[in-house]
Amino acid sequence: MFSFIIRRVGQSVLVLLITGLVAFSMFRFVGDPIDNMLGQERTMEDIERLRAQLGLDQPFPVQYFRFLENAAQGNFGISYRQGRPVAEILLERAPATLELAAVSAILAVIFGIALGVYTAIRRDGVWANVIMAVSLIGVSLPTFLIGILLIYLFSVELGWLPSFGRGDTVAIGSWWTTGFLTETGLKAIILPAITLGLYQMTLIMRLVRSEMLEVLRQDYIRFARARGLKDRVINFRHALKNTMVPVVTVIGLQLGAIIAFAIITETVFQWPGVGLLFINAIQFVDIPVMAAYLMLISVMFVCINLIVDILYVFIDPRLRVDRAEGH
Amino acid sequence: MPRLMTAAALGAVIALPVSAEEFTWAVTTDPQTMDPHAVNSAPVLGFLNNVYEGLVRRGKDMSVEPALATSWEPIGAGEGWRFFLREGVTFQDGSAFNADDVVFSYQRASDEVSDTRSWFAPVSEVVKVDDFTVDVMTSAPNPIFPSSIANWMIMDSDWAAANGAELPDKENGNYATLNANGTGAFQITDRQPGLSTTLEPFAGWWGDVEHNITSATLTPIQNPATALAALLSGDVDFINPVPIQDVARLQENSDVEVIQGIEARIIMLGFPHEAEGLKYSSETESNPFSDVRVRKAVAHAVNVPAILQTIMRGNAEPANQLVSAAMNGYTEGLGSYEFDIEKAKALLAEAGYADGFSFGLKCPNDRYLNDESVCQAITGMLAQVGITATLDAMPVQNYWPELRADNYDMYLLGWSPGTFDAEHPIRFLASTPNEEKKLGSWNFGGYSNARIDELLPQIQSTIDAGERQAMLDEVAQILLDEAAYVPMYVQPLVWGTRSNIALTQRPDNFFILRWVTVN
Repeated sequence: MFSFIIRRVGQSVLVLLITGLVAFSMFRFVGDPIDNMLGQERTMEDIERLRAQLGLDQPFPVQYFRFLENAAQGNFGISYRQGRPVAEILLERAPATLELAAVSAILAVIFGIALGVYTAIRRDGVWANVIMAVSLIGVSLPTFLIGILLIYLFSVELGWLPSFGRGDTVAIGSWWTTGFLTETGLKAIILPAITLGLYQMTLIMRLVRSEMLEVLRQDYIRFARARGLKDRVINFRHALKNTMVPVVTVIGLQLGAIIAFAIITETVFQWPGVGLLFINAIQFVDIPVMAAYLMLISVMFVCINLIVDILYVFIDPRLRVDRAEGH
Repeated sequence: MPRLMTAAALGAVIALPVSAEEFTWAVTTDPQTMDPHAVNSAPVLGFLNNVYEGLVRRGKDMSVEPALATSWEPIGAGEGWRFFLREGVTFQDGSAFNADDVVFSYQRASDEVSDTRSWFAPVSEVVKVDDFTVDVMTSAPNPIFPSSIANWMIMDSDWAAANGAELPDKENGNYATLNANGTGAFQITDRQPGLSTTLEPFAGWWGDVEHNITSATLTPIQNPATALAALLSGDVDFINPVPIQDVARLQENSDVEVIQGIEARIIMLGFPHEAEGLKYSSETESNPFSDVRVRKAVAHAVNVPAILQTIMRGNAEPANQLVSAAMNGYTEGLGSYEFDIEKAKALLAEAGYADGFSFGLKCPNDRYLNDESVCQAITGMLAQVGITATLDAMPVQNYWPELRADNYDMYLLGWSPGTFDAEHPIRFLASTPNEEKKLGSWNFGGYSNARIDELLPQIQSTIDAGERQAMLDEVAQILLDEAAYVPMYVQPLVWGTRSNIALTQRPDNFFILRWVTVN
């Protein structure tokens, strides 16, 4: 068991290092940061001087090694664009993304499960069919289009909600800022959270529905009905409970996806999170910011996968036995 | 705007003396620094023009007018310029402005690490005569110097020293990257990079207040559709730019107004004058574009009016030289290559390319308005005369390195003269590249003409306006005759505002807050 965890951690570190290497080899295709940092009236001499100063004249494995060396000491460099430490900028932007991701995830889970159960129980009902049809839109429409549609409906036409930004924020502690404590902040999070969570919501809903339908066909449900138990008890205590194992796994994995794919939602709503920061960084070839963001996201995914792997071992004893006997 | 409505409601009840006029404007690019000498780019300088001031400034019609200097005069026979400084001006931190700040700002802005140092290439030294007189000595007579320094902003020497910001630090940032202390009409009260920047009027400003703003917020919105929605919903009062395809729709909306004009930027085609052969063609042994007839054929084959009509939806003006008519030194009555397919074909045949040839056209796809569409149109137009381009469009960050590495057979370029003078593009685009003299640094194709190289220093140092214009006209004529570049049009400027806002649009695309009134 212990050696299994050690081996998985070792693999995770390897994955991280390779991700970083691939990222660094890609950076030169993103373009040259120098032109953004120097004005129109720069000379070739200025370009060469700055390139050498930033170490961009080095081959990318050298640049990568230097990045790792500094990152290991907690130094992610200075943003080319903002001239401030990258770690500071990421910390400043993280609360916006995390709050958005949390609200989206909660919406997706609550509505996903509720609608999934409903459509499974009333599988032939009119509303269930309407919900299923509409959910197809949630899966097939691209996020940015949903975002723009919501903005046009609720901000431009109805004027109920703000069209962009995070509203007023309140500082909590030394670096966290929250939008949950102001009216404008609460209003501002509604549209982006729906946009970001819609795909996950439909995913969870469809998963819950199919799992429920599967379970409702089982013999023990039939026996429960025969015992004359109330529908509510059958549906929620006997059926839903038994559908939750795969649902929880998927929710866990989707949480990472919500944070990582917040990029598009953040761009559409000008939501000041790390995703928007990353998009800006690509636009300006801000290599330190891009590198730190990509490493952060891969660390997050690797950690989630690691935890899921370890949980499997705990949940499923067969895995443990196999592993142990394999050696 | 609920807050405004509340204020109005309160005003009705208790008759508040002054109503709060809040103004929010959205731009695509957040100014990356608050240091006026660190980065020479339009988003930075345009924004900081509201906070800092120079010795001179540009008025609503781009004319040069007094700012921190009340007047100026040439010294002797062109040894330099003497500036008489305005008295009683204070910086936003309360300290007084005097000649020491000007000398300090010269040293700071002309330092090797400053992005603005090229403005001071003609300057040999800046001397304080007394507390309110400064001499700027130039190595050669320089008639346009006062008009070339409208963006040279003056910083308080004591403030910079007290905060360790004696020099700009673009790579690591310093106090002046995030904070500002100018003499301008507005001061920064809150700065969150990439999110929002709040300005309030500076009570101690020396000028006459034209605006009625009590608080202004700049907020970057990258996505054009989001910016448009923000304007339509009233979340912001002003956006720049308005996507060209949305102009017609906005004009029908009575809540918003579209303000159109032309920018200082000329969009043109460039050629590889010096290349031995083409890079993206079977013609690897010879270079058709080194033949002036082929370049003229290209100029005749490109249907500029059609591009303006369709892609620019009638919002741009055609161009025949490297500067627009709004610039100083524009050549009047210069000819142009009218759209004529037959003439183009005849010229190609004469040059020995009756059967045409293929080549590669490089184009940015996020730098100029609808740049990629323009290039696609050009590709189609050139195909009609038998020369077939393979279009390669890319983000601007990849584009400049490609041009520097000579990986093109023809390219699209936009040029906006920082000095608003016709000398500027000659120096950067038409001079034979010379690293030492800092000439021709954007002349990717290596165009070279001995007469232009000879005229440039004279243009730079001739005081007499008529004589100078004659030389500028001669250069414009040479560039036209040789079809060194094919200037196509002046890029349009399209701003959108709420209809209760009155403001002034300037061709340099700078947004000047002190000309804004909220009605």
